[in-house]
Amino acid sequence: MKNAMEIDEYLEALWHMKEDGKDSMAELKAGIGGSFSPDIIADCLSEHLATVSDDEQTVVLTFKGEERARRIIRAHRLAERLLFDVMGMTKNLEEGACEFEHVVTPALVDSICTMLGHPKESPQGLPIPPGDCCDTAATTIESSVVHLTEMEIGQSARVAYVNCRKDHELHRLNGLQIRPGVTVKLHQTYPSFVIECEGSNIALDEQIANNICVWREKKYASKPDEPKVKKKRTFFGKGLGLFSKCKKC
Amino acid sequence: MIKQNNSPNDDVIPVSHHGAVSVEGISETPRKAKKAVVVGLPNSGKSQIFNNLTGEYSIVANYPLSTIVVKKGQMRVSDEIYEVYDTPGLYCLFIHSEDELAVRDLIYQERPDVLVLCIDANLIKQSLVLAADLIELQIPMVIAINAIDETSRKGMWIDSATLSQITGVPVVESIAIKGIGTNKLKAAIQKARPGRLPIHYGDMMARGIDTVNSLLPDTIAYRHKTAILSLLSDPFLDKYLMDNCSDDQFKKIREAVDDVQGVFKGNLARTINHKRAEWVDSTADKIIKRQEAFTGRFSETIARMCRSVIYGVPILMSIIVATYFLVVNVANWISTEMENIFWAPVRARLDTLITYPFWNDFFIGQYGVLTLGVAGAVLTVLPILSVYFILYNILEDVGYIPNLSVLSKRVFDKIGLSGASIMPMVLGFGCKTMATLTAKSLTSPKERYITIFLIAFALPCAPQIGLNMSLLGKAGIKAFLITFGVLAAIEAAAGLILNKIIKDDDKDSFIQALPAIRMPNLNAVLKKTFYRLFWFLEEALPAFMYASIAMFTLEKTGILKIIKILFQPIVEGFLGLPSEMVDALILVIARREAAAAIIIKMSDNGHLNFIQTIVAVVLSTMFVPCLAHIGIIVKHQGWKSTVWMVVSITVISVIISGVLNWLLYLIF
Ligand SMILES: Nc1nc2c(ncn2[C@@H]2O[C@H](COP(=O)(O)OP(=O)(O)OP(=O)(O)O)[C@@H](O)[C@H]2O)c(=O)[nH]1
Ligand SMILES: [Mg+2]
Ligand SMILES: [Zn+2]
Ligand SMILES: [Zn+2]
Repeated sequence: MKNAMEIDEYLEALWHMKEDGKDSMAELKAGIGGSFSPDIIADCLSEHLATVSDDEQTVVLTFKGEERARRIIRAHRLAERLLFDVMGMTKNLEEGACEFEHVVTPALVDSICTMLGHPKESPQGLPIPPGDCCDTAATTIESSVVHLTEMEIGQSARVAYVNCRKDHELHRLNGLQIRPGVTVKLHQTYPSFVIECEGSNIALDEQIANNICVWREKKYASKPDEPKVKKKRTFFGKGLGLFSKCKKC
Repeated sequence: MIKQNNSPNDDVIPVSHHGAVSVEGISETPRKAKKAVVVGLPNSGKSQIFNNLTGEYSIVANYPLSTIVVKKGQMRVSDEIYEVYDTPGLYCLFIHSEDELAVRDLIYQERPDVLVLCIDANLIKQSLVLAADLIELQIPMVIAINAIDETSRKGMWIDSATLSQITGVPVVESIAIKGIGTNKLKAAIQKARPGRLPIHYGDMMARGIDTVNSLLPDTIAYRHKTAILSLLSDPFLDKYLMDNCSDDQFKKIREAVDDVQGVFKGNLARTINHKRAEWVDSTADKIIKRQEAFTGRFSETIARMCRSVIYGVPILMSIIVATYFLVVNVANWISTEMENIFWAPVRARLDTLITYPFWNDFFIGQYGVLTLGVAGAVLTVLPILSVYFILYNILEDVGYIPNLSVLSKRVFDKIGLSGASIMPMVLGFGCKTMATLTAKSLTSPKERYITIFLIAFALPCAPQIGLNMSLLGKAGIKAFLITFGVLAAIEAAAGLILNKIIKDDDKDSFIQALPAIRMPNLNAVLKKTFYRLFWFLEEALPAFMYASIAMFTLEKTGILKIIKILFQPIVEGFLGLPSEMVDALILVIARREAAAAIIIKMSDNGHLNFIQTIVAVVLSTMFVPCLAHIGIIVKHQGWKSTVWMVVSITVISVIISGVLNWLLYLIF
């Protein structure tokens, strides 16, 4: 099993190289660092995950390898989004996400993706490979989290998370009670956004409004979904201890 | 920044027309007096409560930031004397920008005996967050739940007894605007005690707080809270710690803080906020009782209309036009009548009494102490200001003004300013000096500079608007529209140009709490108008007299003539104005309203035609910022930048007015 995790690391590195348009063996060595071992490359070859050119100068993913790498990268970057957006972590993102990517099932990854509203980029701005859930999202309105800017005027919704880069803004919003769990109502979008929250009206610019993500109303209207969300929360609550152990990458 | 030896009264800037107490007034209070600091969220009614407690007057207005400098007053309860402080609004003790520091500094420096937490009953949850923060200071506290008249209309009932039970501090209900609850509050202040906060942050956190706490020396105030703030990496706390600890102690504290923060992996703030939020939610659930049915909120509908483009713009226009007609017709009529009834007979009588020409001139000549000094201030300017202030104060108390920040958002986008600078600019239409002070809250140096410049430039403040309206009214509404259009265009152009010149930096974000629309209280409006006029007279009457004496001297010595000849090419040639305008421009430096009085006289005597009226108003609106205002700009931007700003504003104002003069000639 340890081996599988190491193979994952190599596949990840190869995916990064592919994103950068590189394919040399030297690049892979540099990407993996000190612990580079030809054995793992051999394992990758025997499992038909990668192919190496005859002169052993270039290495690329096979179709099978690419599928697996894609799954890992998707889990990794979604985990980063989750840690960053929902849990508000700014440090140790990479560490947490690394541990995470090896333990989640594809189904769980899809439900996280759905919960987060099928995000397209990681907090660092790297593309998140879309999954099956993302393709159907356009038609079935599955996603449970949308940006405040996507709400309709007059609609109320509960805040899922606030996605501010600056501490200052987060604190300000927190002081105004715009925080996960509270209900906000959108009153106006032009010339600037005006929302109502806990009895007061607050004007926001578009960028801040975009950083506030809310649960889609439907999800909350139907009771069965409530526990689902709760479950997720405890899951990651537990997970937090786990993530911190990843020292490798 | 918190400085050890620096009294917080640094922030008490003597701006007397807003009633801030000057520093000298403070030393007179007896040493024994206890200190009570009124704190609370912005716009929660702190100033009203302060006024009720002390019998003094601090401006009460229905928008945040109406108080920006700390004001002091005295209160006597049975035998005890209290020094009471009115403070600017506060969201929490964790500070992110310098402007929010004033209140925390005050608390840390003065170490008050009592905190009077003023809670707006409409905003219980928001206020509880602040309450939790303040309870951790362990200062004896009282809570006043204010504006319960509004919540009861909304079908809400706040259980003050339960809140008192939960927090362990006396809680009184209050309708400050009507003076209800003041006596109970006074009594409660004597029974104030430190509150309790049943929030358990977890064993790990508690240990961390204790560890840091134990490292803090005795010189540090409120060690428990200070420890929590340092764990939250409060950006302004390090300075305070460094000032009050030895280097060694500071290093140890830092290490301990880093250790604890390390354990929480950057999640420390979240943990604390989360626990607090739970406490706030459960407490609010226990103390707020809601009726199921209540009448709809009419004021909400009005508020929404004021902010929407479709209704908001026409509403704004109607307000401006209504103000214009009231000022022009009513105020000008009062002003003329008063001159005819009071001044004309007195003047005629004095003329026959004072036969010696020198003294005749001194008292009732063109720049006589009585003509300009008294009649100018009291008969010409005061009626106009009275009418305008009543209207402006009604708008203030209705809560209309902050809605302009929503309406004008896109305009500000165009000139490269984020929404954060809107409120300071909008407040500039009230008082430019105060508005400049609020610009402190802008974190981006570029935006702060542009905002301060634009406030100082072609933005007319409340007295200016009133006087300009009255003056332009004499030339017709067309003159009014052209002038204000030109001023707006100048501001926009200046914004665009500065935006191009100054290097970009991080933009501020726009998060603005909007006050609820309220029915103005007639008493409150009249009281505020009275104080505003009183402060005006208090300051302006002497200023008008000195100005008239100065002008009189300049004239008698012949210097005025020389100045006029020197500036003739500019004033008469380039600007196309009569040479009397030089007098007005000299007076602008002393007191803007005195210049207005001169220009109004010129207009009444038929010395200004249509174009000249416009040019004179545009020029005198921009020409040299007033002295109090310059003082504040220096505080913000330093001498060099201020001199540059003032000189360029003055030069540009002349150039623009000259160009305007020629343009108007081409058109009309
Ligand atoms: N209905 C109602 N309105 C009140 C009451 N007390 C104050 N107000 C109104 O609330 C508004 C704000 O009052 P202020 O005293 O200026 O509030 P503040 O806390 O000093 O505000 P800032 O200095 O701007 O932070 C004013 O329009 C008051 O008229 C009250 O008991 N009932
Ligand atoms: Mg106030
Ligand atoms: Zn990994
Ligand atoms: Zn998806």
